[in-house]
Amino acid sequence: MRNRTQIRTGITAMVIAASLTSLTACGAGSRTGAEDATAVECDYTMPEGETTVNVLAYNSSAIDPFTNTMVKSCTRENVTLKHDPIDFSGQVTKTTATLSGDTGSYDILETYGFAVPEIASAGSIVPLDDFVAEYGEKYELDALNEGMRSALSYDGKLYALPMQAQMYVMAYRQDIFDELDLTAPESFEDMIAAAEAIREQGDIEYPIALPMSATADVSTIYQAAMNSTGTDFLDAGEPQFTSDGSREALEGLKSLLPYMDPEVTTFDQPSVQQQMFNGNAAMAIMFSGRMNDLTLESNSPNFDKFGFAAPPSLAADAPYLFSRLSVDGWAIPENTQLDKDMLFQMIASSVGEDASNASVPAAYPAREGIVTDESSAYAVAANETIAATMPAPNDPFSAPVTNAIRPVLVEVLLGQTEVEDGMQEMQRLAEETVSGS
Amino acid sequence: MRRREFASFIGPSLLVMVGLLVLPLIRTVQWSFQEVNYGQAGTFIGLSNYTQALGDPRFGRAVFFTLLLTAIVTALILVVGYLVAIGVNGLGKLRPYILGSMLVAYVLPGVVGAVSFSWLFNSNFGGVLNLVIERLTGQELLWFTDTWPNRVMIIAHTVWHLLPFSVLMILAGLQGVPKELREAARIDGANALKMHLWVIIPTMRGIIGFVCLITIMDVLRTFDSLIPLSPQADAIGNESIMFYVFDNAFRDGSQQLGLGSAVNVLSILLILICLFPFIRDLLKEAKAKA
Repeated sequence: MRNRTQIRTGITAMVIAASLTSLTACGAGSRTGAEDATAVECDYTMPEGETTVNVLAYNSSAIDPFTNTMVKSCTRENVTLKHDPIDFSGQVTKTTATLSGDTGSYDILETYGFAVPEIASAGSIVPLDDFVAEYGEKYELDALNEGMRSALSYDGKLYALPMQAQMYVMAYRQDIFDELDLTAPESFEDMIAAAEAIREQGDIEYPIALPMSATADVSTIYQAAMNSTGTDFLDAGEPQFTSDGSREALEGLKSLLPYMDPEVTTFDQPSVQQQMFNGNAAMAIMFSGRMNDLTLESNSPNFDKFGFAAPPSLAADAPYLFSRLSVDGWAIPENTQLDKDMLFQMIASSVGEDASNASVPAAYPAREGIVTDESSAYAVAANETIAATMPAPNDPFSAPVTNAIRPVLVEVLLGQTEVEDGMQEMQRLAEETVSGS
Repeated sequence: MRRREFASFIGPSLLVMVGLLVLPLIRTVQWSFQEVNYGQAGTFIGLSNYTQALGDPRFGRAVFFTLLLTAIVTALILVVGYLVAIGVNGLGKLRPYILGSMLVAYVLPGVVGAVSFSWLFNSNFGGVLNLVIERLTGQELLWFTDTWPNRVMIIAHTVWHLLPFSVLMILAGLQGVPKELREAARIDGANALKMHLWVIIPTMRGIIGFVCLITIMDVLRTFDSLIPLSPQADAIGNESIMFYVFDNAFRDGSQQLGLGSAVNVLSILLILICLFPFIRDLLKEAKAKA
């Protein structure tokens, strides 16, 4: 009997401890605390009944300031804004689900330039031009960067109000570069030369770090490499995977592989950050939203040793940098049952000057003049990059084509498929996707 | 028991089962013959989803990997679970604490446990086990990108996660082996090995069958643990059937719900085939006892 009681007590204690541990782990990713968010004026016409506005936006240090400002400032009287924590992948899946029916689960959506053409061409989100004309002056929307507005437009209409953009920035170990008398690389060839010099020094075996996760980032990296040559996945709806730009991009990326961790195809952006935190890599290229973390003392003993520069070009004579411009913005679903005028004023208030100022340095706000060269350690690099990044063409097939070609791209980079065979296969898959067969 | 009383007891369970099991199953079978997008009525396309799935080499690789994982993990769980249960059975006051600490692995959410487990092998996040193995063997193993090291890691994690359940079950079974039987075997000259092989294990056949059944069901639906443990599962042939369904039907806004449903129907058939011997034995045993 005593034995049984002991067993029960022991097991119960351990199970409770484990459950608490797992619950703590589940909550660890939540970053929705809007208590210290910026308060702005959110002046919409109050609806008569109790109203809940459901907001879908992934959590990141670059997006949270805008989401939190909106939730804090627009929740009043009868209206409650509700935002649950979610990661980017979850946002993508939920966006598809909520836009599919006559009614959806969300009233305001965070979206980005890559996704806008597909959902806008399907009529799933509302064009915002009339609202911009009506409220442009009130919310000073003219100050939103023209290029970023264009990135969130489709067929001449604006479908999402830009809040912030991300572009590739290179972070490198300034101390190591100084010691070896190296300068920030301006081409892939320079990167390889720097990597060889660093490797020879003996401290770092794999000096280059890129996010090339086989399930997501690898296609963005490939597209950035193609963009450096002035080509993109699609040109006026025609797949470009057998083009010279595609070949140069694949060969360029493969030439970097010997200087990267052998498991690089499992590395997403947080893993690349971790390599830099640990001192396992000396050069990394990631979206600018990831750079602030590198400068925080709490994250790494190397926090004060990082230098920042615009990313290199694929080749010295390439027309653009190895970069992608990803613009985030707010959209209103066509199937929301709430007053769209009210929703627009909510999103417009969240991209105002105060919220944009509060988002720096984690984000690069769409509002002109917010990011100056003094805004952060990488502001100069970000400004240089944005000026030399190929404008992102808007094509509704970009997203499905990217999903279709990704497995073949991974095979090519892993050496399981020859470059030429891979290009042909990606072209075939892309053509099938575009034709809908 | 009166009919009305019986109905009031069984009604709520029946309602839940119909709502959460039968209706989704019917919808899955229906969708498997349709092209379906979220929020829209499906279009009948006959067996296209089935021919697409069966003609996809990636699906074949997923089936092979899932069956391989199931066979190895089930065998390991039975052998290691039995040995650990015997060891724990012989413990004194420490028994509840050892059992309790083992259960931590079982009650942790799959993905949380898998992330922690993956860090043991990931040099970027400390990688203690990776470091020890590297020092001992002098080899740098690519745990996440080489097929077999990755399989070993996935198998080790799955056994670690599921072992406590089998230990608990087998431990409970050991309490039910009559002392008289053991004594009789000992008098007849049976050594320890023979005692286990010919006396204890046959007595616990029902429990062992149940552990097999649950383990096979759990391993066949392996999904969330692969996200941290095998980030490029498809490229190295370590994708499970459930992961294949998720990747095709949902990932990145994909809307191939018909194809996903067809693969689910095929998975149900596969699970039934794998479980058939155990279900048959359990039913026989129940019938004999009745």
